[in-house]
Amino acid sequence: MDLRLSLAIIMGKIISFLNKLTGSGATAAPGLYALKIDPHLVKKLTKKLRYGNIIISGTNGKTTTARLTSDIVSTKFRVVHNRQGSNLLRGIASTLISSSSLTGQNPANLGIWEVDEATLPQALENIEPQIIALLNLFRDQLDRYGEVDSIRKKWQTGLLSHGRGTTLILNADDPGISYLGKFFKGKITYFGIGEKKLNLPEISQVADVKHCLNCGQKLNYSTTLSSHLGHYTCPKCRFKRPKPDISASNLKFNSNFSTSIKLTVNGQLLFERYRDLTVNYSLPGLYNVYNVLAAVAIADQLKIDHTKIRQNLESFSAAFGRFQKVTIQGKSAAIFLIKNPTGANEVLRILSQKQNMSILAILNDKIADGRDVSWIWDTNWEILTTKIKRISVSGTRAWDLATRIKYAGMKMSKNNVYENIDYSITKSIGNLSTIDTLIILPTYTAMLEVQKSLARLGGQKWHKD
Amino acid sequence: MKYALNICHLYPDLMDTYGDRGNIITLVKRCQWRGIKTTLNHISVGDKLDPEKHDIYFFGGGQDRQQMIVGRDLQKKAKDLKKAIEQSSTLLAICGGYQLLQNYFKTLDGTMIKGIGLFDAHTLGSTTRMIQNLLVEINSELYSDITEIYPSTVNRELLTNLIGFENHSGKTYLDKGLKPLGKVIKGAGNNGEDKTEGAVYKNAFGCYLHGSLLPKNLHFADYLITKALKRRYGSVKLKPLDDSIEWQAHKAAIGKTRSRS
Repeated sequence: MDLRLSLAIIMGKIISFLNKLTGSGATAAPGLYALKIDPHLVKKLTKKLRYGNIIISGTNGKTTTARLTSDIVSTKFRVVHNRQGSNLLRGIASTLISSSSLTGQNPANLGIWEVDEATLPQALENIEPQIIALLNLFRDQLDRYGEVDSIRKKWQTGLLSHGRGTTLILNADDPGISYLGKFFKGKITYFGIGEKKLNLPEISQVADVKHCLNCGQKLNYSTTLSSHLGHYTCPKCRFKRPKPDISASNLKFNSNFSTSIKLTVNGQLLFERYRDLTVNYSLPGLYNVYNVLAAVAIADQLKIDHTKIRQNLESFSAAFGRFQKVTIQGKSAAIFLIKNPTGANEVLRILSQKQNMSILAILNDKIADGRDVSWIWDTNWEILTTKIKRISVSGTRAWDLATRIKYAGMKMSKNNVYENIDYSITKSIGNLSTIDTLIILPTYTAMLEVQKSLARLGGQKWHKD
Repeated sequence: MKYALNICHLYPDLMDTYGDRGNIITLVKRCQWRGIKTTLNHISVGDKLDPEKHDIYFFGGGQDRQQMIVGRDLQKKAKDLKKAIEQSSTLLAICGGYQLLQNYFKTLDGTMIKGIGLFDAHTLGSTTRMIQNLLVEINSELYSDITEIYPSTVNRELLTNLIGFENHSGKTYLDKGLKPLGKVIKGAGNNGEDKTEGAVYKNAFGCYLHGSLLPKNLHFADYLITKALKRRYGSVKLKPLDDSIEWQAHKAAIGKTRSRS
């Protein structure tokens, strides 16, 4: 028996118990203290999982992808997963502690770990994963993460030490991600979107990779899908978009925010080769197509039956606050999390297909949102200018957002600025007619406050935890 | 009289990481609302820069790798860009853009990146990342120029500061004779040591203020527009606008520096 490990687990369990007594929501605290007692706790406990571990990272979509993956693979495995999105090493430790016995035995046999971009190198040192899925890299909270290039460099180093026995799943459409294949010795599977043209409006966006990461030449794009994602080739060296093993085509973005796609899975699956699926699921937008593709790629790698994949995709509801529909006092609201330029631009892009919208946009600048709000100037609010019936703003940086919206050419008066979020919800619901839907666009910590307000106003519970 | 201005965004495809695009949006909109016609041009790697053509230049911040590419190309434009400034064009450069217009940038590992020496200053790489809201008191000469463009009904107090967000690890040192844009009230500014922030040479302004800077520092935006108009048309009085939302944003952001460090 490993005494140090047991002591760490006991410590973690005690803190977790005390947290529950005091009603504290500090999900990372048990892991934080347990790791002080046994710094190898994550290494030891993840090793005990019989079918191994899956790591999912990227700027956008990791929570949704991990949840979707977890739902699908739970049909075959007993999964342990940091489902609440606590995605630093201590969060992973907390999740492991709560499901382990005092000797570190875990009833689960597969770990699914959503990992923060900056934590990925550390996670790779502690976890020997069976699968690593890397979704994308976009500018996000530069005050916390630094520049995209510096994160990618750290990932490269982290990947070098893995290989045999690990499958790397990469987004073929993101040149900053597909490039990482070069640093990996094991098996690589790519996913991507096969479409040349989308039935979504064009939107001017910021791109974080424009030049070939091998030779510095400007990349040629035959198709641009979102930000720097698309079909690219380097005119000078051999770098180009790899042909995806898992791909989506016939993308249809429906007006009720659901999506249908045709999935082509032609990986090295032994029991079902070249099988096509058309799937309908209730997640909006292009970014979720990538999340679906990544989850399918993982599930396929784990040899999950394709009918099961399809069933779980179609019954999935979005992760906490990412996208939700809710009814309140007979009126309807839809919430879309916005947290960085690329994510926000994709949300605005879906919304721009609508007319006469009532919008409440909420900008906070707490640490989890990023304290620098400059990014709102990289979001394309202009695309909504003619589609708005009424737009209001709130949050700790309400006035910055009001300014952004004014300079996008929309009508903005002081009467539409509410510094208090709870009040902004009450007011916006009050102003809403019963036939309209209030579109709420909060940043991360604002989203947590929105949830509270909606619960207080009697909003039905619309998602499972 | 119909006024028109040519605005030039330098390397918008490469130096675009920190949301500095808001400065261009602000210049264009505030001209448009006053009936001043604007033409926006993008100049990037390989393009020729005509020193006579543009009234306002804007140069934002980018990632290190992009900054290297731009730094090399900028050498070829150095003469023309400096000529434009000598002929009283207006320029605003932020962060990476500001650094490339200095004499040199010496990175932590000792690599020298040559600048174009528009600003008689240099930057040294450091291990401290200066990341926070940055509040600056505008230098007195500039302040008195700015007060002249606003009617006396505008609260003078509002015109004294610039507020933004800094995120850099390079420490900039101004050589003797180069005036700073202002004095640091909260934050690090040029180097976190001498309380200076930014630099002013003729109508060229460099600083570390993201945010974007101009949307919530509209007095500075209007000042740049006035300078640009002056080059073409002599003194022009700007039409007042309803700026209540922008001023609220300015005040609220300053409030942030007081409520927490």
